[in-house]
Amino acid sequence: MAHVVKHITAVPSYKDFVDIVLSRTQRKTPTVIHKHYKISRIREFYMRKVKFTQQTFHDKLSLIISEFPLISNLHPFYATLMNVLYNTDHYKLALGGINKARQLIDDCAKDHVKLLKYGDSLYRCKCLKRAALGRMVTIMKGQSKNLQYLEEIRQHINRLPTIDPNTRTLLITGFPNVGKSSFINKISRADVEVQPYAFTTKSLYVGHTDYKYLRWQVLDTPGILDHPIEERNAIEMQAVAALIHIRAVVLYIADVSEQCGHSLEEQLALYKNIKPSFSNRPIVIVLNKIDVVRPDELSEEKKKILDEFRAEGEPVLEMSTMTEEGVMDVKTTACEKLLAFRVEQKMKSNKIGSITNRLHVAVPKKRDDKERPVCIPEAVLKKKKAMDVDGANRKLERDIEMEMGDDYTLDLRKTWLLQNEDEKYDVIPEIWQGRNVADFIDPDIMKKLEELEKEEEAREEAHYYSESESDEDEEMKEIRKTAKKIREKRTIITIESGEKRRVEKSRMPRSKKRTRSVAQLENELEELGVEIPRNSESHYGRAKSKSRSASRPPLKKKRDESVGSVTRSKSRTPRDKSGLRDNTMIRKVKKIAKKAQKPFNHQAKKGEGDRVILNMKPKHLFSGKRKAGKTDRR
Amino acid sequence: MPQNEYIELHTKRHGRRLDYEEKKRKKEARMPHELAEKAKKLRGIKAKIYNKRRHAEKVQMKKTIKMHEEKKTKQKAADTDGRFGNPAYLLERENQIRAKVLSNTIKQKRKEKAGKWDVPIPKVKGVSEAEVFKVVKTGKTKRKAWKRMVTKVTYVGDGFTRKPVKFERFIRPMALRFKKANVTHPELKASFFLPIIGVKKNPSSVMYTSLGVITKGTIIEVNISELGLVTNAGKIVWGKYAQVTNNPENDGCINAVLLV
Repeated sequence: MAHVVKHITAVPSYKDFVDIVLSRTQRKTPTVIHKHYKISRIREFYMRKVKFTQQTFHDKLSLIISEFPLISNLHPFYATLMNVLYNTDHYKLALGGINKARQLIDDCAKDHVKLLKYGDSLYRCKCLKRAALGRMVTIMKGQSKNLQYLEEIRQHINRLPTIDPNTRTLLITGFPNVGKSSFINKISRADVEVQPYAFTTKSLYVGHTDYKYLRWQVLDTPGILDHPIEERNAIEMQAVAALIHIRAVVLYIADVSEQCGHSLEEQLALYKNIKPSFSNRPIVIVLNKIDVVRPDELSEEKKKILDEFRAEGEPVLEMSTMTEEGVMDVKTTACEKLLAFRVEQKMKSNKIGSITNRLHVAVPKKRDDKERPVCIPEAVLKKKKAMDVDGANRKLERDIEMEMGDDYTLDLRKTWLLQNEDEKYDVIPEIWQGRNVADFIDPDIMKKLEELEKEEEAREEAHYYSESESDEDEEMKEIRKTAKKIREKRTIITIESGEKRRVEKSRMPRSKKRTRSVAQLENELEELGVEIPRNSESHYGRAKSKSRSASRPPLKKKRDESVGSVTRSKSRTPRDKSGLRDNTMIRKVKKIAKKAQKPFNHQAKKGEGDRVILNMKPKHLFSGKRKAGKTDRR
Repeated sequence: MPQNEYIELHTKRHGRRLDYEEKKRKKEARMPHELAEKAKKLRGIKAKIYNKRRHAEKVQMKKTIKMHEEKKTKQKAADTDGRFGNPAYLLERENQIRAKVLSNTIKQKRKEKAGKWDVPIPKVKGVSEAEVFKVVKTGKTKRKAWKRMVTKVTYVGDGFTRKPVKFERFIRPMALRFKKANVTHPELKASFFLPIIGVKKNPSSVMYTSLGVITKGTIIEVNISELGLVTNAGKIVWGKYAQVTNNPENDGCINAVLLV
């Protein structure tokens, strides 16, 4: 049924269903809430939980409803089959129950969310949420039987065979135990159980077979007994459903030997009774089990009944599924009959015009009566002959095996090609005279080794392996020297050009040795012969502590100036120069900026950078009622 | 092509794996160990649920074991001594003790004394106005605070229409209005979903009664015509009182016990 009903997801039991939904709610909604939170937030928190649970239930139930097949949409064959197997009323009630539950859950969630809107404490909200989820679970509990039933149906549907009601089909029918299943096993790969008791096959089976490069569906049905339709049980009803709804060639199998427990008269009566259900379809009557009794060996009375079968106007064939006698004959006859029938049907239908219009079979006319046989060149024929080594009459190993039976042993030595034919079956020892035979497979091995050694010696003498020293002449050396020079020059040039075009980026400051210090100054002046007063009175000495009051000495010992650090800002590129390549570029940028500012300055206006919103929320716009036309000015 | 009962067919044809039985036995034997391991590892709500289920299972198991044991052990034959024992038709009867009769009569008397208005929940906790009413601020500047919203479940009659906004002091939100209650008949031990006729008395305050506020312990009148109860005179009773036994604002439904 796989092609009719796509995939049906597993229906969980009531308990699993509830567990799945509730744990999903727990996982997918926030879990932390405190009572000092704003009440609207608390309400929101619990409302979300209720709604989420409802939605999950809703989705899961909708999935069930949508995935199970709608009986009214199915092919009548499948509709009947489902009715026989699952009872349509029960099925519809189950799905209806699920639908109702979905509706009830939606309503319940709606009510509780409404109540939650007026929840005034965390406790109350929590209680309401609990009540809501509890009610939903109770509703689901009422559906536990339905869920179980649907799951059973799902499992059964998955195992139904894939029957296409519209393709070429051979439909096998007859009393129980007449050899229907053995016939399908013979002509297709379906592996139906065959047992010597009635009703071995309890449901429909499908097999496929090939004929005329077409694929044929073979349908095995459970056996049917000869009684009114009301008394038929579910197993027989499946066969009846197939008989009524599938347009196929019907193979009515009868048991000539009467081993099935039903006499030929009964079989004829059944045939006559069920014939109306497959009227206007091709029929083939098959007499099975002719290995037990040949039809012409039967008694006169039985032969009369067979004649009655023949009088029905349908082809009556004989076969034995045991010895495979006539099986292929039955298949070909049935297939041919159906093929002819289908073509005829198509010809009758009003669609045929559109097909025949497009069909054209070109039949070339004969030019003359000259014979033009196949031409094979002489050379090819010769080659073919040469390829035939030992003729087609060579016996295959398998044939020999079939002939000899259990005495057969595989003999591989038979085909060995040896110089001396008698040695074929000689025993080959593993060790011979204390040596391993395998080592001496090659008779000339010693000779070859000697040759190799000789070659090696000759090579060594000729200094084949000694390193060859390179001796380059003067000219080559000269070239290498200049090449080196060129390379060096080139790297220098690339570095220099890179330096020129480099974009100035901010760099980490490098501490530089300060070049000026008091000590240095003193030294320099003394060298020039200037007297330096060594007291604090001197003005350059005083300059250091200018900001502080002169009377008080500094609290801490000052850092030696010569070690003093350079402020960071010096090494960092200024903001207006960062990202610019060189001075020309800087100048250019400055010019552009000034020009841009010009019109604003000219009119004494604010520029872009002067934009500011002083009051983001003016009181008069955000308080009081908003009635018509009062949105932007109140 | 696998179709119909192909798995069963396969086992029927080829049998099961050779170690199937052994594996099954071992798996079963391992089961309690696995359960114990699981019980140890689980934490929180899952552990609680698991242990509760496990406990119930164990109780059930013990019960069945006991039942089997009783079946196995031979019961002592009943005292069939004709001279001293009771005859078979009196075996089921219990001898009434005089003291029991006395205590029963006393109890009966006390009950009668208590009077007609004995209710299932005699002591009802009071509900403050602050809890029931939420102040609604009104006016253009939201300064006025004379309006109240009822935050408990209410019953509002069919013919009720709201007053104009200016005069409506108490707002009873639509979401909190209830029309039906789950009423339990204490003698029949059955619950019915019955329509409410009115609020007879809210013990917390007269005002609540007039507003139709339903809290725990409130006496409500319900329509029991569905039940088909008949008075002594033979008329069908259609209104009867019931007391609310839950907090409807917390549960989202009204549960009540019929006062018989």
